[in-house]
Amino acid sequence: MEYGFTTAAYVVAAVLFILSLGGLSGQESAKRAVWYGIIGMALATLATLIGPGSGLWLLSLLLIAGGGAVGVVIAKRVQMTDMPQLVAAMHSLVGLAAVFVGMIAHFEIVRVMTAFTEAGLVYPRGSADWSLTATQIADQFVAATELGRSFGTFAGLIAEKTAVEVNILHIELFLGVFIGAVTFTGSVVAYGKLAGRVSSAAEKLPGGHMLNAGAAAMSLICLIWYVNSGSFAPLLIMTLLAGFIGYHLIMGIGGADMPVVVSMLNSYSGWAAAAIGFSLGNDLLIVTGALVGSSGAILSYIMCKAMNRSFISVILGGFGTTTGPAMEVEGEQVAIDAEGVATALNDADSIVIVPGYGMAVAQAQGAVSDLVTKLRAKGKSVRFAIHPVAGRLPGHMNVLLAEAKVPYDIVLEMDEINEDLAKTDVVIVIGSNDIVNPAAQDDPNSPIAGMPVLEVWKAKQVFVSKRGQGTGYSGIENPLFYKDNTRMFYGDAKASISALLPKID
Amino acid sequence: MKIGVPKETHEGEARVAMTPDSAVQLQKLGYDCAIEAGAGHKAGFVDADYTAAGVEVIKTAAALWAASDIVAKVRPPNATELKRLKDGKTLITFFDPAGNETAMEAARKSGASVIAMEMVPRISRAQKMDALSSMANIAGYRAVIEASSNFGRFFTGQITAAGKMPPARVLVIGAGVAGLAAIGTSTSLGAVTLAFDVRPEVAEQVESMGAEFVYLDFEEAQDGAGAGGYASVSSPEFREAQLAKFRELAPGIDIVITTALIPNRDAPELWTEDMVKAMKPGSVIVDLAAEKGGNCKLTVKDEKIVTEGGVTIIGYTDFPSRMAAQASSLYATNIRHMMADLTPEKDGQIVHDMEDDVIRGATVVHAGEITYPPPPPKVQAIAAKPKQTAPVPTAAEKKASELANFKKQTKMQAALLGGGAVIMLAIGAVAPESFVSHFIVFALACFVGFSVIWGVAHSLHTPLMAITNAISSIIILGALMQIGSGSGLVIVLAALAIFMAGVNIFGGFLVTRRMLAMFQKS
Repeated sequence: MEYGFTTAAYVVAAVLFILSLGGLSGQESAKRAVWYGIIGMALATLATLIGPGSGLWLLSLLLIAGGGAVGVVIAKRVQMTDMPQLVAAMHSLVGLAAVFVGMIAHFEIVRVMTAFTEAGLVYPRGSADWSLTATQIADQFVAATELGRSFGTFAGLIAEKTAVEVNILHIELFLGVFIGAVTFTGSVVAYGKLAGRVSSAAEKLPGGHMLNAGAAAMSLICLIWYVNSGSFAPLLIMTLLAGFIGYHLIMGIGGADMPVVVSMLNSYSGWAAAAIGFSLGNDLLIVTGALVGSSGAILSYIMCKAMNRSFISVILGGFGTTTGPAMEVEGEQVAIDAEGVATALNDADSIVIVPGYGMAVAQAQGAVSDLVTKLRAKGKSVRFAIHPVAGRLPGHMNVLLAEAKVPYDIVLEMDEINEDLAKTDVVIVIGSNDIVNPAAQDDPNSPIAGMPVLEVWKAKQVFVSKRGQGTGYSGIENPLFYKDNTRMFYGDAKASISALLPKID
Repeated sequence: MKIGVPKETHEGEARVAMTPDSAVQLQKLGYDCAIEAGAGHKAGFVDADYTAAGVEVIKTAAALWAASDIVAKVRPPNATELKRLKDGKTLITFFDPAGNETAMEAARKSGASVIAMEMVPRISRAQKMDALSSMANIAGYRAVIEASSNFGRFFTGQITAAGKMPPARVLVIGAGVAGLAAIGTSTSLGAVTLAFDVRPEVAEQVESMGAEFVYLDFEEAQDGAGAGGYASVSSPEFREAQLAKFRELAPGIDIVITTALIPNRDAPELWTEDMVKAMKPGSVIVDLAAEKGGNCKLTVKDEKIVTEGGVTIIGYTDFPSRMAAQASSLYATNIRHMMADLTPEKDGQIVHDMEDDVIRGATVVHAGEITYPPPPPKVQAIAAKPKQTAPVPTAAEKKASELANFKKQTKMQAALLGGGAVIMLAIGAVAPESFVSHFIVFALACFVGFSVIWGVAHSLHTPLMAITNAISSIIILGALMQIGSGSGLVIVLAALAIFMAGVNIFGGFLVTRRMLAMFQKS
């Protein structure tokens, strides 16, 4: 079989995937970029079906169509606020698929081995018996090649391999299955946490990280065992161990660190695909896996940087140790009603809104958008300030605001707007807490000391829309709420913002 | 316990440490209040107002001192008052602990506690009792008003039928609380206002008040911020540059308001005689630093003089007292907040907690010991940490830092590339060719991935995740290649993998499209 066509298609697909990711640098080019991705994927799938896809292509098509139908329904139905869950769920599918494909690869190796042994030939190649004559070896070689051709595409590839290559193959598929399994269970837990089915608090089994370390060490032993024996048992044991690691690792990470977790799992799903690509010898899988893997890794890095925490400390869960007692906060939280907020908004010329996870929870983006439209119609400057870790997913707030038809050019990043906050008349903080906590700058003992925050307290007036007096995810008291220019606007964010609407004139 | 407020004994002092309003609040803290007859008179509060607010009016100062457990005052106590300070009493007042050692010693011997209002540390939490700031605010306002009443022209520019009048040009030196208040008053009167301060980080505050910040062409970073948001002493070179700038400005300035003070030092001379001479006749200088010798050497403390060149120099030191009603109500509120901090239980009993930063800082005499000076406060956060934004970084500096950055980056990249190359070579040396060829593809793809993803807009991170999700379903290729080549179990597993990847491909791309369609420009 000649796969020239397939390889060419793969190159085109890889280029399309790169363009597709690169196109996301701007909102307009992004709309084109999706099509690159779709065409690339279609091309790659078709080329595989026509080329090395080994039979049963009708079944394959049916399965793709079936899966596609499910995917379409989910994609159409999902609420924008549920996007974090959806992304996590999809990661788990990729993870599981990687596990399956890796296991199949193992079965294929076993099948090829058995076939060689039954035919009285030596496998892997190169481990020939030195007592044989040269002619015998040559005969064996011819016989082996013929036998190899009788297999399907993938098995045929395996049959060609030498001893060293088989060992590498073992390691590759072992890695692929390991990462896939971690991604699978990790994503399932992340899904549960994001969807509210599992408590979002950080929970660890007794033993904590020692359990993870132990499981990882045992996996390593399984790897050595597997490479030496080639039997299924170590692979299966490792899969279970990896599943446990994924579960336990993500269980130990709390709510607000979810952006990091989701992008980390995104990265893992890519590395799993890349590892499988190695074991299948498929360059497109390797390229795509590496693209996705590095994309997730960069996202995780950006998120960690925005929280001023190292990746390790996020993964190990919980906030870092504090160096001393936190600065005490004095004063009281002064409440205000909708009337007061509306008056201030009517008087203000420049307004900045800082949305957080609370806005997503209360589904308040629609009300916020209406408020913004009304304020802008009156000639006021209204902008949004988005902290990189606001919400539970990188860019979560941007998507929610976009859904509510807030124009993206008034939605600014932290670095773009922080300097302007001092000149702002009114800042409305909707359901965010830690990202506007002045303790990050003022209190060297604060657990979040040094984390870049939105300096909303510099504005003339700050209104904080919040359900009650509780602390944020990190459990840190927020001195912002006690400042003289801060007023607390208690109540459900959606109801609060809606109550403002008729009062703006 | 009883809080008593005597009449101020210092001549000309019109302020009072308690107003009827603050008395009501103090009573809510559980205290009884008393005031000397006529104490609030000059500030516009008559005895009847106090009585109405539930304050006991006591005829003589001696009786009041004897009856009170806590005495609140404005001015530092004089010798008679110090004698009346008895064991167990608490005195809250401006005390001038740095320049008043004899009084401090007398207070120590008496066994009383003294809280000096000017020693309240400048931290956010203590702002509500920062009497220096309240008084400085008034002084800044009043300085402009005094200047205006001595200035024979409008502040604001006008074009009328009778001719065109240019706006006054005001220079405010020192942008502390008083300076900022002066800037605010001056700009709202319509004058063109310039301001200077040795701490460049206040430029933003100055500009926010509507004044123009005067930058210096000075090579060293212009930064004179000391601890606690106060200015510190600057280098001689810096001073020269500063004076040169002022000299350049002097002829065009109508009104100068100097507010430059450095804690515990004589006021620096900033407005020299030749600058005064350079000013137009009719110009006004208000020297708010007159108490400490003045920022202008011609200033006469507590007096208004007119120089030969026709420049009026005002050296009053009693600006707050000139606005006694306002000053008293602010000061009384500061005292009230201090009392609130001293009365955590709101039961009318003082708890002198020397662990509390604010109380510790303000206390100068306690339990028979002089506790001045206090240890530096643990947090100094009123005027933000000095941002390293030197207003005029010189070209040479810029170049140097750019070069250093470039070198650092080059080193980084070289190290990374070198390391990467070594690893690749090491792998290539042991691994078979078939693996290495794939590995190169992998490394290149990672490289491309890293370069491409950095360009992705922050706001598109969620679509990015959805699309990478769809793309990572490329794993379907693996399953497609395997499905036909094996036994039942292989087919089942491969079929499942294909199905799941199918969900992901369609779901991922569709969701991405849905999200991107929502992003709209205004």
